[in-house]
Amino acid sequence: MYRYDEFDHAFVSARVEQFKDQVERRLSGELTEEQFRPLRLMNGVYLQLHAYMLRVAVPYGTLSSRQMHKLAHIARRYDRGYGHFTTRQNIQYNWPALKDIPAVLDELASVEMHALQTSGNCIRNVTADHFAGAAADEVGDPRPYAEILRQWSSMHPEFSYLPRKFKIAVTGADRDRAAIQVHDIGLHLKKNEAGELGFAVYVGGGQGRTPMVAKKIRDFLPVEDLLTYTTAIVRVYNLSGRRDNKYKARIKILVHETGTEEITRQIEAEWQAIKETDLKLPQEDVDAIDTYFAPPNLVQRPEGWSGLAAARKADHAFSAWVDQNVTPHKNPDYGVVTISLKPIGGIPGDATDAQMDLVADIAEKFSYDEIRVSHEQNLVLPHVAIADLRIVYDLLLTDGLATANAGLITDIISCPGLDYCALATARSIPVAQRISERFGNPERQADIGELKLKISGCINACGHHHVGHIGILGVEKKGEELYQISLGGSGDEICTIGDITGRGFSSEEIVDAIETIVDRYLEIRTDKEETFLATYRRVGAAPFKDALYSEVANAA
Amino acid sequence: MSDIEQPAGELWGREGFREDPYVTAETLEEAGDAPAVILPLGAWLGLTEETRNASNRKIGVLVAPGESIEPLLPLLDSIPVIALQFPAFNDGRSYSKAELIKNQHHFKGELRAVGDVLIDQVAYMLRTGFDTMKVNHAVTLNRLAGHNLHDVPGYYQPGRGSHTASGTYSWRRVPGA
Repeated sequence: MYRYDEFDHAFVSARVEQFKDQVERRLSGELTEEQFRPLRLMNGVYLQLHAYMLRVAVPYGTLSSRQMHKLAHIARRYDRGYGHFTTRQNIQYNWPALKDIPAVLDELASVEMHALQTSGNCIRNVTADHFAGAAADEVGDPRPYAEILRQWSSMHPEFSYLPRKFKIAVTGADRDRAAIQVHDIGLHLKKNEAGELGFAVYVGGGQGRTPMVAKKIRDFLPVEDLLTYTTAIVRVYNLSGRRDNKYKARIKILVHETGTEEITRQIEAEWQAIKETDLKLPQEDVDAIDTYFAPPNLVQRPEGWSGLAAARKADHAFSAWVDQNVTPHKNPDYGVVTISLKPIGGIPGDATDAQMDLVADIAEKFSYDEIRVSHEQNLVLPHVAIADLRIVYDLLLTDGLATANAGLITDIISCPGLDYCALATARSIPVAQRISERFGNPERQADIGELKLKISGCINACGHHHVGHIGILGVEKKGEELYQISLGGSGDEICTIGDITGRGFSSEEIVDAIETIVDRYLEIRTDKEETFLATYRRVGAAPFKDALYSEVANAA
Repeated sequence: MSDIEQPAGELWGREGFREDPYVTAETLEEAGDAPAVILPLGAWLGLTEETRNASNRKIGVLVAPGESIEPLLPLLDSIPVIALQFPAFNDGRSYSKAELIKNQHHFKGELRAVGDVLIDQVAYMLRTGFDTMKVNHAVTLNRLAGHNLHDVPGYYQPGRGSHTASGTYSWRRVPGA
């Protein structure tokens, strides 16, 4: 993984020193909260419902054991013993005291981490496929490019006061696990006919109150043009994006209102003017960054397979976990392990300090010191030998980290909602917990199969409900929480925005409503191979609406 | 830090504060016989070529964030100063305009930032090509007077007032001409 050099260390230290000074001035009253606000936001410090919240950047979701231990330490020493992993592959601390935040930033800097650009109208932490560098289906590792973009976008003088926040995601496989088509810029690393690496470039995707699937504006952009082309896109956006209405300020609205053809023309014209400038990437620099992400020297462990068969036979629960939470690795002796942070009835994405320490220890011994945070709010051990799966499982089991539900209905993405967030209009965590309990039976959820359920507690859609196979949006209506359901959304390579079923459901009704949808799916699927999403795409919304609303009509 | 009194009429540049030779006016008539005037874009574009190039007075142009700089681009050689407005600190359009004017179209005159500038933005402005600042933010004025620019020891992008850092990646720079 990428390691800071002197340049990076000096940069981050300078920023921490500046923030120390700003916090001192705030605490002494020299700065008002209003004056302090833009300064704290640049350092990832939000003011939430009950306290300050610190959002720490985990670039493209990659962590070492040492970094994870540090995150655990921060949770223990400065928070209430836990942290919350987010859909942006970051971690949030909900209860730090403002006076401690400079010390937390110092601690982070000691392990080459920071909280820069995790808020504000700038280019945010760049995200990538959480299986990058390990997945069997990968064309190339997207992380070197995400790292180049991270560096280039850090304190960018031209792009730190954009109309709105700006999110870039990179994937290196045809199977899109980074949801690139719902980002401001989505980059799909691929090879052209000559075998050279480049990117398909998508622009203008996003969720929020106006969800849109990104438009592909270039099928193949050579790697050397990554920064010049990105500059052209962001420059056109900075100059022309709307600033009159916060809710229309994202690039998706600009693309939509200008038209794909015209916006592409503007971007290409700007690019022509700058494509031969200093930002054109020399291959040796790409290679140098690439070296940091060289795959670990994996020891051959062919003995794993025979042992695995026996272990699976002996323990049904272990076998179910392997089926659900282990994904093929490039090296057939290895697997990619998803550690579910969705225990039945738990809070999606939360991890205690002890759990973080445990994951760090396991990664050090069994995953070549690497951990990933997924945008689905889980953790990933990217390089686990098949031969070690049993022992890793047993270790995870000791602290409730072996839930075999990756990709199933209880693997719920949920925003923090009204329990924490100042923007939320409804609670989302308690709804996630009740749904998780309703469907918690392992056989039942395995029978239901792949089903991505995502919950947002307000229209801003941090819980990605628009791209949930089943999406739930909590809103406030006449003082009551009301939950709208959408169906058929998907954030992968065939990206779709879910369709709203109709009137919403009360907090009491919502879990039954979800069960009604699932039961109808089980009735009408052609067979067990046909997933919920495939069934929905075949039959449309009608059978589900029927099930949801005719029952209500009958009961009335 | 002690508060340093700083009259709002002064102009700041890398060398410090100095008196602003320009007056800002809505029209040339309103400016009277001032030898250096800054006019709004519409008024400036309405001047005859002869007036713009008159040797007895300098006439600069003030551009609001929502106004396009396109009509100015063919005329850059005849403009002594372009002032880009920052009516609110969070409207960043003028950074991109600065980049276009200075770096893509090689404007040789003075590029000025006018308005609500936070101290943390000054370093960004210098790097995108601004030469001077006319600031109305009291905290910023104090900090500028104390030469505290909130800058960092290295940059991850090319920009004005920096040079290539040797032995590192092509996009990185360190401060200094």
